[in-house]
Amino acid sequence: MNQIGLVAQSPLDQFEIVPLIPMNIGNFYFSFTNPSLFMLLTLSFFLLLIHFITKKGGGNLVPNAWQSLVELLYDFVLNLVKEQIGGLSGNVKQMFFPCILVTFLFLLFCNLQGMIPYSFTVTSHFLITLALSFSIFIGITIVGFQRHGLHFFSFLLPAGVPLPLAPFLVLLELISYCFRALSLGIRLFANMMAGHSLVKILSGFAWTMLCMNEIFYFIGALGPLFIVLALTGLELGVAILQAYVFTILICIYLNDAINLH
Amino acid sequence: MLEGAKSIGAGAATIASAGAAIGIGNVFSSLIHSVARNPSLAKQSFGYAILGFALTEAIALFAPMMAFLILFVF
Repeated sequence: MNQIGLVAQSPLDQFEIVPLIPMNIGNFYFSFTNPSLFMLLTLSFFLLLIHFITKKGGGNLVPNAWQSLVELLYDFVLNLVKEQIGGLSGNVKQMFFPCILVTFLFLLFCNLQGMIPYSFTVTSHFLITLALSFSIFIGITIVGFQRHGLHFFSFLLPAGVPLPLAPFLVLLELISYCFRALSLGIRLFANMMAGHSLVKILSGFAWTMLCMNEIFYFIGALGPLFIVLALTGLELGVAILQAYVFTILICIYLNDAINLH
Repeated sequence: MLEGAKSIGAGAATIASAGAAIGIGNVFSSLIHSVARNPSLAKQSFGYAILGFALTEAIALFAPMMAFLILFVF
């Protein structure tokens, strides 16, 4: 029996973090790891893309393919911000737009980069998505306090609630408000991790069946193979969709913080 | 013994997919209903439906995540 590819591998092996340039500063583990490499790649990809397109003072009047891509992304996020954040003049909305655009582009490029075989999915790590979602959450809370001062606490109590219910509702709202940060990060991480493991497991099945060296299994392997193909398509969709969902939820939370409810 | 318990636990974790299936079915049935009632809003409601689908699917993915954690981490 052909033993190639039958080495038992956990589907979670692909998420392993390996230090590429080991470094320690004092007691801190400060290595340059493969997530750092791929994050750097992501950043350089989209910075280069945007740099080359806006090189001659804002691109061409008639856009070529790359410029239309960037314009499409820009327009998409701009419309998202315009639609989701209400009650502010256009200029004030512009204040939040760069942050949201960069978050969207970063997540989109990370997710799509993860779809390349043998690359590393940065967003499939708890640490990275949670760091992102918590920093954004803290930022949104600061924006809320900045605009409303201590009146921001009225966010925790919906209007027209009978007084005896208030303590419970405040507690519930507080929990749900804090849970937003957690769920934002976990959603992205779980989607990426589960999707990639699933693809890995199914391609493992297909490969094992192909290696059985019998004509029946060879034909049977086409089934898992097509499922893997379909699943890869789904994963591409999920990669884009999750970046979109993350961004739209940031906008919704920001809208909550600005307008209260 | 531990291996068996792990497998049972991981299998049991996937029961949660039933809820996600109901949720996703609900999202799209509502989409069809609303589009049938008011076709002019089809584009807008499709956007909302996709958002709802993504949120539901994310919850669904907590189940395989738990299964993976049980199988490979502990």
